[in-house]
Amino acid sequence: MKRLTNALRRTAAIAAKEVQHILRDPSTLYLAFGMPVVLIVLFGYGVSFDLDHAPLAVLDQDGTAQSRDLARSLTATREFEIVATPADAEGIERLFRSREASAALVISSGFAEHLRRGQEAPVQVLLDGSDGTMAQAVLGSATQLVAATIGTPPIEATATLLYNPALRSAVFFVPGLIAYVMAIAAVLLTALTVAREWERGNLELLFTTPVGRLEIVLGKLAPYLGLGLLQALLVLSVGTALFDVPIRGDLVLLFFAALLFLVGMLGQGLLISAVTRSQQLATQVGAISSLLPTLILSGFLFPIENMPWPLQVLANIFPARYFIDALRGILLKGAGLGVLWPDLAGMAAFAVFVLAVATLKFKRGVA
Amino acid sequence: MSDAITVTALGRTFGDFHAVRDVTFDVRRGEIFGYLGANGAGKSTTIRILCGLLAPTSGRAVVADADVARDPEAVKRRIGYMSQKFSLYPDLTVRENLDFFGGAYGLYGRRLREKIDAVLAEVGLTAQRDATTGSLPGGWQQRVALGNSLLHDPDILFLDEPTAGVDPASRREFLALVRRRARAGATVFLTTHYLDEAEYCERIGLMAAGRLVALGTSAELKARHVPGRVLLARTTRPAELRAALAPRPDVLAAQTWGSGVRLRVRPELSPSALASLVTALDATASLEPAEASLDDVFAAVTTGAA
Repeated sequence: MKRLTNALRRTAAIAAKEVQHILRDPSTLYLAFGMPVVLIVLFGYGVSFDLDHAPLAVLDQDGTAQSRDLARSLTATREFEIVATPADAEGIERLFRSREASAALVISSGFAEHLRRGQEAPVQVLLDGSDGTMAQAVLGSATQLVAATIGTPPIEATATLLYNPALRSAVFFVPGLIAYVMAIAAVLLTALTVAREWERGNLELLFTTPVGRLEIVLGKLAPYLGLGLLQALLVLSVGTALFDVPIRGDLVLLFFAALLFLVGMLGQGLLISAVTRSQQLATQVGAISSLLPTLILSGFLFPIENMPWPLQVLANIFPARYFIDALRGILLKGAGLGVLWPDLAGMAAFAVFVLAVATLKFKRGVA
Repeated sequence: MSDAITVTALGRTFGDFHAVRDVTFDVRRGEIFGYLGANGAGKSTTIRILCGLLAPTSGRAVVADADVARDPEAVKRRIGYMSQKFSLYPDLTVRENLDFFGGAYGLYGRRLREKIDAVLAEVGLTAQRDATTGSLPGGWQQRVALGNSLLHDPDILFLDEPTAGVDPASRREFLALVRRRARAGATVFLTTHYLDEAEYCERIGLMAAGRLVALGTSAELKARHVPGRVLLARTTRPAELRAALAPRPDVLAAQTWGSGVRLRVRPELSPSALASLVTALDATASLEPAEASLDDVFAAVTTGAA
């Protein structure tokens, strides 16, 4: 009992010292609170797959009232803007090359006639495929609009979108973004501050005292965990307020998911610092190992299901995918523990593993 | 009562490199023991093993009645450590640093406050308690670090090149503080490559290339390793006098030394014979007795070892 009290007391001394460091160093506070907001705003407004006045060329070979109605209907939602009305197909190609238009609507002659007889009316949508994401967005939107106008759908399958009916990018992005900024800040903060202590010999001095490895690790972790949770709250508030992201699920569950994710990320930072023992190296390894998995191996930008199997295996190791999955589930679908427990388990497994290795690596063996 | 430190056939290798090999010595309680040697001679490796920072690869070390390899935690409670690499937190105040490391030793509350007040008074930095540690001059930072290592009243104080890079006046002050602690009963183990610092120590261990090549009091080392008498010949033409004396077989060493020549001669060469020899060579020269220095010991021992 007395041993435990002593251990707790020493851990508290380490945590208290860490808080003093954090409060004294403005760059820590910027990294924790300034950078995430900057990133969220940049990403939220800058990265968008939503169509906004996409330049459209219209080639109307029919020249009837119906064909003009169709062309006009595409511009009604402001997703498209008619920038040119070329006389022939070559005109369209010229517009694509000069990047004046990224989509073209071709209404062949006889459109109104076919429509009157109740036959399939020939309408063609041409896309500049050099920008794949843009082309997909245009295709989806144009088919929908054309179908709505003509009444008889030119495509057979109809899809109904759930959870994000307007398919707004922000709704999809914000959960990923939250995971992204939390990962970077948590890994970099711990990797940097602890590597600095290795460099300066602070840890060496600490190792000559009766303080144990686990006490050091826990004492360091606790303040940054608090900082990370505050950051999660900030990022979530900014994300939901600026981009109208709904919170349909349980906030307590969200808190626990964030906690598990943070412990894993902080452990990763500790491990990096213990292995590299230099600030410069720790920064590089920390940035890459937090940035790439959350950006690429997480389902944030690219669906994991479409990756080759070695990358899928990697994606299953890094906790980012579980956290993003949990965030999307809780925020957008209102999913509960019954559905999300595998995500929580995945994050917990990573956290336990990485903390155990980091504690072992925190050896006294100073060269 | 057993010795404070007992080291037996201690060795440490890094790959093929023998940083410390077959080192044996002991340090008595209350003694100031100087561990002397050039950089890379194995001083830091030894002190790290003794503090439980590094495991030995062979041999045994007992510090404060505990085996450092088997029970490093028991060692840690009884020792204070201060390194050449300044290891306090520069962004924290003096007081915050002492608070933290005191906490690391399990001190808290009123007892911790009293201890902090006591060591600050001891090292003479009570007025600087709220200064940012990194903003203090080097000599003061060193004193804070010393005070820090004294917070828990350690039985043994390990000082790893404690005064490296500090001006001579601060060094003397620092060593006076160390001596006061030793007189109060603490054992001090100090590594240094300053020979004058080693003169403060009661006994000296001399390291070269990982081996302990000499061990004893300063006087013993000089008697054992620097045979002969040392004299200083004052002259206006030291270079010529040195050149004339150096080849003689009864002159063991001759160095120009300011406005004179430092001579080490065989004991058989009588003072009067030497005096007539010197005046014959240089009429302006006058002889006066001098003392062997640790420098002489160091030179004699390391040339012998090489």
